[in-house]
Amino acid sequence: MTTYRVAGPAAFMGHKTGEKFDADLDPEQEKRALARGSIKIVNRKPKDEKEESDDA
Amino acid sequence: MPKRVALKDSVEVDSVDLSNFARSVRLTSEHSREDVSGFSATGANEYLAGPTDQSVEVEFFGSYGTGEVHETIYPIHQGRDIVPFAWRPDQTTPASATNPELRGNVQVYTYGPGGTRGDVDTFPVTFNAADAAGLAFFTTPLP
Repeated sequence: MTTYRVAGPAAFMGHKTGEKFDADLDPEQEKRALARGSIKIVNRKPKDEKEESDDA
Repeated sequence: MPKRVALKDSVEVDSVDLSNFARSVRLTSEHSREDVSGFSATGANEYLAGPTDQSVEVEFFGSYGTGEVHETIYPIHQGRDIVPFAWRPDQTTPASATNPELRGNVQVYTYGPGGTRGDVDTFPVTFNAADAAGLAFFTTPLP
């Protein structure tokens, strides 16, 4: 899960400019949105952080 | 159902709200007509509906700022990308039975902005349905 901030002049995924939102965007969609300045990444949770297994 | 004047429509391309940069939307959804006529006493033709071709034409105002029309659509065209598209009649309320939202994944095969001296800069963009799901109306908002 990644936290984004809407940086462009137009709303993104229903969120207005300046708003933060959490989403798992498709990597290609994220790449396009970052490239055109629609969004900026605020915080990204590493994918390596897996939930603890019950097998332990 | 009341009649309406199109004023509050919502147009999203690749999740970017381009409503304020658009001034017309037109869906075309057409099944091909396949002639399956055989010999008959009446001589009347018989048809079946064949494959479906769908597209949405949106007239945009030419706008070249960060995250606006050109910066949103040109990379999609250039990269041959398949992106989500959505349109509903009233942006102030979520999708519902009385405010159905057209959604689907689309491609932009042709991109042709331009300008004429003294005229408002507008140009049409056709979004073509790009996968088997096609373009369809939904009566519930996206989760």
